[in-house]
Amino acid sequence: MTSLRLRIAGMVGAGMLALGATNAAAELLPLPDGMGGVSDIGAIQCSVYSNMIRIGPLGSRLSLLTWAAGYYAATSGKTLHALATAPGQPGGPWDFDRLTTHLVDYCAANPQAVTADAVRDLAANLGVAR
Amino acid sequence: MSDATASPPVGRSKLWQPPIVGLVTFVLMFVGVGLAHTLMVLIEHGLGRPTTLAISPLLGFIGIVMLWYGVKSKNESFQTWIGFLAGIIVWMCWVEFFYMWYGRENWGMLPRMDGVGSGGPLEVSGTYPEYMIMGSTVGTLLLMLCLYAFDKDTRCNMFLWFQDKLGLKEGLGPTTKKAQDRNYAIITFMETFFVTWFCYAWNLLTFDPALMGSGDFFIGINLASVFIATTWAGFCLTRLIQFKRTATALRYAIPVGNVAWVNVEILEKLDMMSHEVFIDPWTHTFEASVLFGAFLTLVVAILLAPKKPSEVGARAKRGEGVS
Repeated sequence: MTSLRLRIAGMVGAGMLALGATNAAAELLPLPDGMGGVSDIGAIQCSVYSNMIRIGPLGSRLSLLTWAAGYYAATSGKTLHALATAPGQPGGPWDFDRLTTHLVDYCAANPQAVTADAVRDLAANLGVAR
Repeated sequence: MSDATASPPVGRSKLWQPPIVGLVTFVLMFVGVGLAHTLMVLIEHGLGRPTTLAISPLLGFIGIVMLWYGVKSKNESFQTWIGFLAGIIVWMCWVEFFYMWYGRENWGMLPRMDGVGSGGPLEVSGTYPEYMIMGSTVGTLLLMLCLYAFDKDTRCNMFLWFQDKLGLKEGLGPTTKKAQDRNYAIITFMETFFVTWFCYAWNLLTFDPALMGSGDFFIGINLASVFIATTWAGFCLTRLIQFKRTATALRYAIPVGNVAWVNVEILEKLDMMSHEVFIDPWTHTFEASVLFGAFLTLVVAILLAPKKPSEVGARAKRGEGVS
């Protein structure tokens, strides 16, 4: 029962997080001056993310994947590693390159979307809801 | 790449007199800084970024091979050109492309962003990962500049001024080198490298929001930089336009053009102008072609300009008894 409550609370929290991310696309938590990247990487427009990928490919991939890992943990209670290596994944286990390329490709194809949409699309492919 | 093929006519000219020599070399170096940006972009797009970054250490050796030819030459004009081109190539390949690989591909640095918390549009700042790394090399730069600041044989007017004002001349003693002892290929090579490094560091320090913030102080510091760069380059230009020898003028124009270019970077940062024509030549093909054509014309003009005998190695040849 406790586990179910936690799970529901997690899903509600993740939903609010994702909703907040979508609505807060223009208002990001400022970082300390001089740092690279953005704090709310899940809340930025895909066109901006694609530009970040052009200039900082590896770091931008990792940044959004880290955000995604938190989102998936909140919604499913599973780690990204557990989801990516779960048996029965179509196309075999997901590695860093495959996971992040999915996010990058989604954003390239949907420049008006926000990065959280790419994370949700990846979630569907990973079977997070299963 | 022999001396003979690079030997310009020796003689006098009514056209190549002050202030023409200085003005032409200044414009050449100023536009040359912009076109160096274009060259870098063209290499990156021509070879593809992964290939460029992978072979950039090897590409840098092209500059070193050029320098080898230049150092062996007795022709001061040839030495100067080779030293300049080798300096540009080595800077581009061993610093810019190499830092690019480290920052973007190896360490996975994120680009600095503009517009966070300011209400402006969120966009990638011009301070890319490689420039964030470069900003951290200021201490190394200053350390290396100590070599010149405390070198009794330096001929750089700025360091000579420091030596005079700091009372170093007596302690350092008189220079032991004459003009014939100097190899202008390596001198111009190092000058090009250090001037480029210095101007980058200057811009990067004043652009760093961790040091300057992003409000009035940032604007004030950068406008002060514009004032300093303009007066410094302007002062040097008044000296440059008195030069008669094209080789000497070329060497002097390297810092003058670069210091003047500091303004371009700052005014672009403050959204007051753009040098996009140099970094996106495909969108501005006509304008970029005109600038490149003008640059090439000036290069050819200087190469064909009559030279003093000392500029083409006549003095050295006399000393060696070569006819």
